[in-house]
Amino acid sequence: MASVSELYDVGWEEMRDKLRKWREDNSRNSEQIVDVGEELISDHASKLGDDVWIIYEQVMIAALDCSRDDLALTCLQELRKQFPDSHRVKRLTGMRLEALERYDEANKHYDAILEDDPTNTAARKRKISILKAQGKNGEAIRELNEYLEQFVGDQEAWHELSELYINEHDYGKAAFCLEELMMTNPHNHLYCEQYAEVKYTQGGLENLELSRKYFSQALRLNNRNMRALFGLYMSASHIAASPKVSAKVKKDNIKYAAWAANQINRAYKVKFMKSLVKLLELLSCFFFCFWQLCKTS
Amino acid sequence: MADPELLLDSSIRVWVVLPIVFITFFVGVLRHYVTQLLHSDKKVALEQPKTESDLCEVLLRSRVLRENGKFLPRQSFNMRKHYFNNAEAGFFKKVKRKVVPKNPMTDPSMVMDMMKGNLTNVLPMILVGGWINWVFSGFVITKVPFPLTLRFKPMLQRGIELLSLDASWVSSASWYFLNVFGLRSMYGLILGQDNAADQSRVMQDQMSGAAMAMPPDPNKAFKSEWEALEVVNHKWALENVEEDLMSRDLNFESSS
Repeated sequence: MASVSELYDVGWEEMRDKLRKWREDNSRNSEQIVDVGEELISDHASKLGDDVWIIYEQVMIAALDCSRDDLALTCLQELRKQFPDSHRVKRLTGMRLEALERYDEANKHYDAILEDDPTNTAARKRKISILKAQGKNGEAIRELNEYLEQFVGDQEAWHELSELYINEHDYGKAAFCLEELMMTNPHNHLYCEQYAEVKYTQGGLENLELSRKYFSQALRLNNRNMRALFGLYMSASHIAASPKVSAKVKKDNIKYAAWAANQINRAYKVKFMKSLVKLLELLSCFFFCFWQLCKTS
Repeated sequence: MADPELLLDSSIRVWVVLPIVFITFFVGVLRHYVTQLLHSDKKVALEQPKTESDLCEVLLRSRVLRENGKFLPRQSFNMRKHYFNNAEAGFFKKVKRKVVPKNPMTDPSMVMDMMKGNLTNVLPMILVGGWINWVFSGFVITKVPFPLTLRFKPMLQRGIELLSLDASWVSSASWYFLNVFGLRSMYGLILGQDNAADQSRVMQDQMSGAAMAMPPDPNKAFKSEWEALEVVNHKWALENVEEDLMSRDLNFESSS
């Protein structure tokens, strides 16, 4: 099988820079990371200098995602040799045990970290994700609530809690978590849109109105959010179709729904036009080359 | 009385003045490294975050509520406002923090730190000063460029029982103390800012520590936050969002 560097004709520096970009963007393209990272560490480890340790960590987590336990174990052993007493490496050991579904041992590792350093948030979060993996949603919710009482500002924890509540169909509490997120990040269109979806799921006229408003807000923050556009259409149509509304409200909502439908059509036409133009360009290139060939031959 | 121009042996300069400068400097550097070795690692106990940053986080939440509450639906905003401000059960009203000032005398960790600070700073100063006084005694080192009164004579001219000698002529001990204070800026250059050889700053800290004000009173902070939250009105930012949105076509052209 051809190596990455041959396939894409890149040198080791470009591979390293690509890994760094993925690290900074927090992108979870584990298969690519495993391919690129594995080659980098097996062939060019000495040239990487001190970067090699963070690349080991990144590749190890990606390997766990792809069930490549062999690669994960190699990376972990290198890290353990270099940093024998590190909490960060202990957490990685715990993560590997989690991937192998040895949850009790993993829990022991995390408890050891927490005994040493009670403020270590990473270990606490891993314990909660173990509970989630074992399907113990109720306990996970309880632990996460306790965690948030202490670390009120942790955005990803609030988000995780809202997801857990949605899984438990407790939409009221999920809405509360999303409200916290919206308050601290008022310009994030995704939180607005998720909040609107939760409100839509809760149902009832008031919630539908709220969801329509928040879908609009998400659209205002980001014009290209198609989900919000569809959401706006759906919520407006539902309100208009509901028998209990006054005539004015019905008229307004029909107008909103019509506008949304119009925008959706426009969006797909624009996309369609763009792809059509691209296709025509490609075809004209082909014909031109073909014609040149015929001319010369 | 005319100032008797004493001519000092130039070997004094070589064997006394310069050695004292070097001794002072190296003792200071040594002190810096010894302090770093003895510096106790202040572990962040979990209790601290629970009580103190707990307080900060509550204030932060309430501030965020005031600033960005207009993005929440009216009911949610009111619910949060009530949680904080309600007359009986509100957080700001109910939770009266007991203000525990960090008394330097009783707080054990601070006493240890103070003692260590004293030890590493004052003790070497006394020791070295005494040693220099003993070794380099019996003669004057240098003349300070400004005239001094007679009162300074016993202080600056230890070991020289000459009543008629101008007080500007000083002995080695005073030259040592001059160096201690003068080399502060040198320490800053060589050891970087915030070094432990900087004695005078330690002394300043001690003096200001004794007169330290109480830690920021959480009750006062709560009260002012409560008032600020009371006045806030919920002006929903989403009141006319649909009209705003639909006033023009959506822009799908932005680069992703």
